[in-house]
Amino acid sequence: MRSGWAHNARWGLRAVQAAVFVLLVVAWELSSRWGWLDPFFFSRPSSVAERVVRWFATGEVYRHIYVTSLETVLAFLVGSLLGVVVGFAFALSPGLSRVFDPYVKVANAMPRIVLAPIFTLWFGLGVLSKVAFGVTLVFFVVFFNTYQGVREVDRNVLNNARMLGATEGDLVRHVLLPSALVWILSSLHTSVGLALVGAVVGEYLGSARGLGYLIQQAEALFDTTGVFAGLVVLAGFVLAVDLLVTSVERRLLRWKPPAHVEEVV
Amino acid sequence: MKLASPPGTCAVRLRRCRRSFRTPDGGVYVALDGVDLEVRAGEFVALVGPTGCGKSTLLNLVAGLLQPDAGSVEVFGEPLVGINRRASYLFQQDVLLPWKTAEENVMLGLVFRRVPREQARRQARAWLERVGLRGFENRYPHQLSGGMRKRVALAQNLIVNPEILLMDEPFAALDVQTRQLMENDLLRIWQEERKTVLFVTHDLEEAIALSDRVVVLSAGPAARPVGEFPVELPRPRDVTEVRLDPAFGDLFRRVWELLRGEVLRAFRLGP
Repeated sequence: MRSGWAHNARWGLRAVQAAVFVLLVVAWELSSRWGWLDPFFFSRPSSVAERVVRWFATGEVYRHIYVTSLETVLAFLVGSLLGVVVGFAFALSPGLSRVFDPYVKVANAMPRIVLAPIFTLWFGLGVLSKVAFGVTLVFFVVFFNTYQGVREVDRNVLNNARMLGATEGDLVRHVLLPSALVWILSSLHTSVGLALVGAVVGEYLGSARGLGYLIQQAEALFDTTGVFAGLVVLAGFVLAVDLLVTSVERRLLRWKPPAHVEEVV
Repeated sequence: MKLASPPGTCAVRLRRCRRSFRTPDGGVYVALDGVDLEVRAGEFVALVGPTGCGKSTLLNLVAGLLQPDAGSVEVFGEPLVGINRRASYLFQQDVLLPWKTAEENVMLGLVFRRVPREQARRQARAWLERVGLRGFENRYPHQLSGGMRKRVALAQNLIVNPEILLMDEPFAALDVQTRQLMENDLLRIWQEERKTVLFVTHDLEEAIALSDRVVVLSAGPAARPVGEFPVELPRPRDVTEVRLDPAFGDLFRRVWELLRGEVLRAFRLGP
């Protein structure tokens, strides 16, 4: 009974969400047709949809999606790896964290966008500069979470493992790393999202490929329809990435009490 | 496999042990001072005392997790350096790894000893069965009750075949029924294995029901053993039935007379 009720409630919610979408799109379409909105600045949903369909039909959008995906994945992997390694080093060596504390704070507070010109100079207009840009965003999230995760490990849990005969390496592998992983996973949505932001913003600032480039090109030509079409593709892409992250998260956090999993979903 | 140590040898010996801690306001708190304690091999010793008297500190000294400021800790006649490799430690808190199943948690000590996985797994299954958890091998800790988690922790401790078992109020968080079941299981396993046990508790009834000897610790600061009471109740025991034995009540009264003074003193001194 209850699950049936929850089921109905969920579909009811979906229906309302869809209605909101339809209402907004229809209002936008009619406003631009009746001249309340200037199509030059606001385009209209039918043109945007037509453009999106054409992009996929001709296949020209795929290489942009591919490049953006590649940059996102690389930025996420490199940023996470660096974050885990440095986070561990800082958590296990209080001296290190004390010395570098002000540097970490400054680097993290710096608006990352100012680094884009430097990265373009260093790494060129290709994939690398976007990856570097994304890494500066992802690194800090993973770094702070790793640091926290390692520091928060219960002392009794560590002592228990030591009494059972764990070496320092065993402690890292069986206790500290999994504990940090819980924290890192809890910020997975944020860090993947930031990797994507890094890729798209980097492309927008200077590149020859990618979804950010697509939007930037359309904007340069005062092609509002193109800008909106780019946004639609990007939105779909983000949604797909988010679903992927959620499923990965569910697999890796299988051992968690269900309350937590629901929170995450 | 190690041969059981001959009975009568001294498994643990603390001599004139002192241990202090730095307090947050910069002072020094002496938790233990002048602690002399001997535990014979195969003996089950219960350590009772008022809260905050340093029972856990004493256990940590024997475990090698803490070092004494003064005095010495000897294990089977040798001075203890670093972690006590001949002991295992059942903590009061939940210390199972939440991301490992019951079976993986139990086999942890064997994994650390580089025992081949399959062999470790087999032994872990056998131990889970011995503590009454057959069929729960693949459950994660959060899917087990508090009593079941304690059983897993007990199996985790016993699988490494320690000569000395240190226990820090292991059943304090359990409800009365579960607790008595666990105590009986512990006695049954101890009867079979004859480990040396140092069992810390603030529950005098539990101490008497389980042990061969009850040691009373004074109130802190500078706590030390102030009395010893041999428990001459017949074994094997059932913790529920042994409480009805007239000798039990008699001993309880004698120990309580001493313990009550310390509890009141601890109460007056405050935490």
